[in-house]
Parts: sequence; structure tokens; C-alpha cells
Amino acid sequence: MPDQDVTGYKCRSCSTVAYPQHALCPTCGHDGFDPVSITGEGSVLTYTDLYALTLAYTQRYLRLAIVQLDSGLRATGHLLDPDPQLGKRIRTQIGVVREVDGRKIYGLQFVPV
Amino acid sequence: MRPVAILGVGMTKFGRSDLTLAGLMSEASVAALRDAKLGNRSVDAVVVANMGAARVNRQTAIASALVDRLNLFPAAAETVENGPASGASAVKVGVQAIAAGMADVVLVTGVERMRAVNNLEATDFVASLSHPEAEYVYGVTLPSLAGMFARLYMSRYGLTRRHLALVSIKNHNNAMRNPYAHIHQAITMEGILDAPEARVNNPPIAEPLHLYDCCPVSDGAASLVLASLDVAQQLNRPAVTIAGIGQATDTHAVQERSDPTELSAVRLAADQAFERAGLGPKEIDVAELHDAFTILEIAESEAAGFFPRGEGHLALEQGVTSLGGTLPINPSGGLKGRGHPVGATGVAQMVELTWQLRGEAGTRQVPDARNGFACNFGGFGNNVVATVLRSERRENA
Repeated sequence: MPDQDVTGYKCRSCSTVAYPQHALCPTCGHDGFDPVSITGEGSVLTYTDLYALTLAYTQRYLRLAIVQLDSGLRATGHLLDPDPQLGKRIRTQIGVVREVDGRKIYGLQFVPV
Repeated sequence: MRPVAILGVGMTKFGRSDLTLAGLMSEASVAALRDAKLGNRSVDAVVVANMGAARVNRQTAIASALVDRLNLFPAAAETVENGPASGASAVKVGVQAIAAGMADVVLVTGVERMRAVNNLEATDFVASLSHPEAEYVYGVTLPSLAGMFARLYMSRYGLTRRHLALVSIKNHNNAMRNPYAHIHQAITMEGILDAPEARVNNPPIAEPLHLYDCCPVSDGAASLVLASLDVAQQLNRPAVTIAGIGQATDTHAVQERSDPTELSAVRLAADQAFERAGLGPKEIDVAELHDAFTILEIAESEAAGFFPRGEGHLALEQGVTSLGGTLPINPSGGLKGRGHPVGATGVAQMVELTWQLRGEAGTRQVPDARNGFACNFGGFGNNVVATVLRSERRENA
């Protein structure tokens, strides 16, 4: 479903993909973009187990990570790995990352390859 | 540019307060105005620093409220919101007004009344500064960004949780000497790290950061009275001047930084402040850094130029940054010990430095302090204001 995709923005002038969105391309300053899905494999750059959660979450802790994707982009999301390690290979998937007033919000999850 | 002096300083005790937002602002402001001894000189402008009153206290346009409380009509007034760097940003606005000749005397007051809501709500309020689509939606909070930063930093430079604990112990001990500090609790390595019960005393918040790596949620206010140096000299006040202010920004989402362990906005803001002051890091006698998390004191001490990259923890270990060391950092207790009412913090850092540079810091006085440095760190390093303060006291023959 398109509204579940996490979208990057490919510059129509220099082809650089930016994520998250900027009004002007961070590389060349152009203002036209085509949406591309943030997807693929990569590795864990860093992660944390967050115990002090905000109101949206009821679980004991949340395992958050910043990953380095092979495409060159980085992304922040939920790391679904019982044995996390720096540099470990992952791939992206889309799943529920938050619920607001009973509405499911989809976003990036990272699972071991 | 007209040089700007700090004529008066004041603050409330930080912690949990029964005062209203206006009550907190008034207490700090009256203390600063009394300290400034303005005589019949009026205050031309009021700048209030605050991040969350609209959300947390359901009150807006609070600079006008402060003017009313203090009967400072018809002084100009505005509120500055720049996340956790609001305090130093408001000072910058005041300095600019004086430097531009639009005001001679400016009252700057930073305030936050965060304990009005529970900790979950306070955490969420601060997390609202993170990137909405790339960070916040995932449950990202400031502690989680600090935890991810700390894990990468520690793996790269060989820091351990023991180094982080040293920051916490130092700043708690300094806060014991500061009557305005939120936390008056001496802690030990045994109690927060080594003893079996440390697992209970010091639970994880955002691994590898634990409770004693994170600043408390505080109420409080801090104030400065700024004036042009010529007004300060007319009033014959012992002058501390704002020698230089620098500011720099960085990407909103931490993931987009080419090196996420580099606090480039701290480096750029500090370089600019030093350049404008005509001073370098080696000439600084005392520093107040933004230790919202213990790792940040170490990383900022490097990015600001006090120590080489990756060596801040070695200076810490050797006692360089302790009271009695060659560069005491956070003699006030820092955000960890003094507390962190977000809008007030940047102002409170300069209140402490002013006391230090005037020789009025009591049992936490850094001997012969002449030049001070403050780093007020907004976002997770995406908006940083650095300030160099200088004592204009003449040496007695």
C-alpha cells in the first residue's frame, strides 16, 4: 500500500536521493523530486534500547537504530533483532511503528539478513 | 559593535517549584535587577527564553507577562523559542539590540516550568524537537538520540560507562556546592556502577546511558541584566563582558550527518565565538557545557577545542575538568546537577560564569577565573550557541 511506504526524494537534476524530505536538493539546490522507496540491505550504524518511552508505547523498551543502507542513505527505525551488534547486516521492512488514537502508523523496521 | 556588559545576574533554585511561570520569571528577574543596581536607569527591552510554556503551561506571549509583573512599561518585549538553546539565543538577541544601538539596558530571563506535567509528557514535549517523519514517529526521544550517539562514540574512542559515571560523579559533587542546584546528592562509583544494587539504583534509560547519565526534569528561571559597556562604566559596576557569541546549525535528523559522532555545530559555534572574542580555548579558565547527557560533556569538550578529538575522557580521568583542575567544567553542577529547565539553562550557564568571573562563586570558585566559555546545545546538536565571557577587572598593583 503506497501510504505505508517510507519515501525518499530523488532529485530530478542530479539524481541524489534525500531522506528525509528537503525543499531544495542538499547536493545541487534543485527543487524537483521523484519519490523513491527507502528499502534494501545495509548494516547497523548504532542502536539503543530505550526504556523511558513516550505515551505512545506500552512495551518495556524500544530497540531503536540508525542504519547505513548500501544505497548510501541512512535511516532511523525499529531494530527487530534479539542479538543486536554494531555493523551487523540488516534489511528494511515496513511495519507498524506507532499507534495514535487507534490508528496504525507504518514505518521502517530493520531485521537481520 | 558596542561592547556589552553583564550588569546583574540572578536565578531561582532549580528543581520542583510551587511558583507559577510568572512567579519563577519574576524571582530570577528581580534578583538580577537588584544585583544590577540600575538606579534611575530604565530597562529598554525584555527578552524571555522559553521552549514549552504554550504546551506545558498553556501560556503564551510570556515576555509581555513578565513586563507586567515587573512594571517595566513601556519596555520592548519578546519571547525567544530555540529549543534547549533558547537561553543563549535570548542573550544573543539582547546583545544584538545593545550592539545595534536599539537599547542600552536589556533584561534577559530564561524560564521553564516542566514539572507541571508528568515525566512522560515532559519527555514527549522535548522529543517534539526531533524530526517528525524520520525520528519522532519511531518513538525517538532525546535520551535515545544520546544513547545511539554514546554507543557509536564509545566504540570509536574506547570510552566505557566508567568514564560517563566520572562526569556524573564530578557534576553531582559540584552541585553539592551550589545552593541553586536541583540535585543535592553525592554519588559514588560504587553506588551507580560497581555495587550489585547499582542495577536498581541506576537503571537503564537508553542503553548505554543510565539514569545517572541523564539530567533531571526541572523547574527554574535565570536572568541577566545586559547593558552597553559605557552604561556599565557610568554605573561603576564590576564588569563582565560578553566577548563573543557564535552560533551554528546542523541537520535536523541526526542520521543525515556525514559523521553522526561529530558535533559540528558545537565546533563551528565555538570557533566563531572564540574568533569574535579574540581568545582561544587555551585562554579559558572555566567552562559550562551542556551535559544533558554525560557523553555530551565529553564530546562537547572536544568539539569546542579544549581537547583533541577522542581524548576528552582522558582529561576527565586525569582530573583536568574537576574543580581544582586546569579547566574546571560545570562547576555549577551542569545540567546533571544544577538541573535543566530547558529555556533557563543557557542563561543559567552565564549566571554561573558571571559569578565565577567576579570571584563570587563561594566554595566552588575557580581561582583567578578571567575568561569563561558556555555551550548551549539545542536539538540534538542541530542548533548550538557558544559564548565567551571575559572579566574586565583590572589587576591591583
